[in-house]
Amino acid sequence: MNRKKIFALLLALLMMLSVVAACGNGETDDLHKEGKVDKDGKAEIALITDVGTIDDKSFNQGSWEGVVQYAIENDKTFKYYQPTEKSDAAYINSINLAIEGGAKIIVTPGFLFEGPIHTVQDQFPEVYFILIDGYPHKGDYVPDISDNVIGILYAEEESGYLAGYAAVHEGYRDLGFMGGMAVPAVVRFGYGFLQGADDAAAELGLAAGDINVKYTYVGNFDASPENESKAASWFQEGTEVIFACGGSVGTSVMKAAEKADAKVIGVDVDQYAESETVITSAMKNLKKSVNDAIASIYDESWEGGKAVTLDATEGYTMISMENARFEKFKQADYDAIYAKLVAGDIDITKDTDESGAQILEPTEIELDIVTVENIK
Amino acid sequence: MTTIAFIVQQTMIFSIPLLIVAMGGMYSERSGVINIGLDGGMIMGAFTGTLFINMMQGNISGQGLFILALLVAGLTGFIFTALHAFASINLKANQVISGTAMNMFAPAFAVFAARLVFGTQQVPFRDTFFIRKVPLLGDIPIIGSLFFRNAYISTYIGFLIFFVAWFIIQRTPFGLRLRACGEHPGAADTVGIDVQRMRWAGTLISGFLAGIGGLAFVVPTSTESNATVYGYGFLALAVMIFGQWRSPKILGAAFFFGLMKTIASAYSAIPGIKTLPIPATVYKMIPYIATLIVLIFMSKRSQAPAAEGIPYEKTGR
Repeated sequence: MNRKKIFALLLALLMMLSVVAACGNGETDDLHKEGKVDKDGKAEIALITDVGTIDDKSFNQGSWEGVVQYAIENDKTFKYYQPTEKSDAAYINSINLAIEGGAKIIVTPGFLFEGPIHTVQDQFPEVYFILIDGYPHKGDYVPDISDNVIGILYAEEESGYLAGYAAVHEGYRDLGFMGGMAVPAVVRFGYGFLQGADDAAAELGLAAGDINVKYTYVGNFDASPENESKAASWFQEGTEVIFACGGSVGTSVMKAAEKADAKVIGVDVDQYAESETVITSAMKNLKKSVNDAIASIYDESWEGGKAVTLDATEGYTMISMENARFEKFKQADYDAIYAKLVAGDIDITKDTDESGAQILEPTEIELDIVTVENIK
Repeated sequence: MTTIAFIVQQTMIFSIPLLIVAMGGMYSERSGVINIGLDGGMIMGAFTGTLFINMMQGNISGQGLFILALLVAGLTGFIFTALHAFASINLKANQVISGTAMNMFAPAFAVFAARLVFGTQQVPFRDTFFIRKVPLLGDIPIIGSLFFRNAYISTYIGFLIFFVAWFIIQRTPFGLRLRACGEHPGAADTVGIDVQRMRWAGTLISGFLAGIGGLAFVVPTSTESNATVYGYGFLALAVMIFGQWRSPKILGAAFFFGLMKTIASAYSAIPGIKTLPIPATVYKMIPYIATLIVLIFMSKRSQAPAAEGIPYEKTGR
């Protein structure tokens, strides 16, 4: 009995020590990770994450950095909220929590927020909502956007196009596209990637069938051993570079690439630091767009009630050249194709056709040289 | 040939952690303590193991570091599981509830601690452990390319653990006593075996192996640990049950599960399977369906330890 008591005491002590240690560290915590609140614990600018976290090195993180940048430069209070689960109810709950916590501006990255924002936009007309990668609608994709909401979309097909274009010019012939889930943004990245590779192949005078692209959606945004294994099997079959387009899926693909001496193209933000295998990243400038949208609220130039698509003309879509590990594809090549993109000389098929109907399969994209191996 | 070698190499990645953890689970259960906290033990081991690698990688690298990290991971699992042992053996708490609490605590703690140390939830590490080819052994025809190329040292450690664990539980007095405590603790007690101590031993060994398994799982499959092992602790439990708490069968079950996992994710690289009109999800389901079938047919003569999950009361015998 005595021994039992001592043991229990020791365990309790251990718990307390770890809590004390935690508190001790709290003060030095980085603003970038924790946000900043006023003395009542209120924060004016709030970000609500979707299925990822603010350090997913991808989508949520890019948006969060935009919030951090604006808030620090202008001395605003800010904070992020993480919903307890992936459901509309949990998202709405987090939105309510943020508003109770003093939020006047709420940034929600991810099309998953389309429904929840549609539900709450009229309940809180005094709160501004910045919805990234989507716009509120009833579930029928017909925009129904209140004046306090802005939906920000990106021309991801342009980033994907540039990535495919650069990869083929760099000399790769066996490419892979590994998307997360078939959500509109991922699909646009993928279709752009195919068309960029195709155009580059045409410029290089390659014959039909010279470029092979394996194409799949893995069905999640996780770094899982299954995803690693799948990427390893592609590399095993001779794929030289995989465009890893799905949040943490990239981590798994990079691991497989490290083992197979192959290459990876990152997504959303510049992922060059993640792994030596990352040759470039197909980016959208989340940070700048979130920052700009918040700024427009404070300087009263807010234009809500609509969805905007940000593209290359204002530098919102790009691939990373600064930290790229290209040998043949030069900055001049990039500048040339980018200028064409900005000038509107390149026609890229998006995830929908002219009538607005969704293009469901990558094999429906018109390609001259690239053959697509659609793996389900 | 290269395809077969690839499948074998890839299967190892899935099977070895399952094998190590399932053997751990066997030790716990055959001593009479159900440990469904294996998943939590794996998460804790993966967390401290990668943390250790992250902190030491400036000073040392290569296999030595990996082996040290595996030890750190094992020790973490060992200490972590002491909570479960204390609750279920000394306090005679419900073992399923205690184990569930461990599984809920582990990821939360890993996220919390990682954020304290790094500011991010993930613990990144540099992989200097990948073995392209084992010297000499890698040149043996067939066997060399199957087992001694593109591997991690954890594969060989996993086999070593398996054979040592098998020998100890089946061929030593300690193993016999441990098994007795899981079958009939009252009888064991009458011949002077300290049931509580044997159960402590069994549970702590399971924690140690779960910790090792956690790190052996994360290192070959990711560039960072992220407070999760994707339910592989539970899968290891399934492997243990599928293997009917017996070492050789557990070995077979671990490789069966690993092979099915490999086929499910890498089927596009396997000629023959690629062209079959079977969706990949079927392969994902096969291990679970097989487990169910085995459980149905074995339920009559299940070889589960008779006294597992029942706290031992001296007065009750």
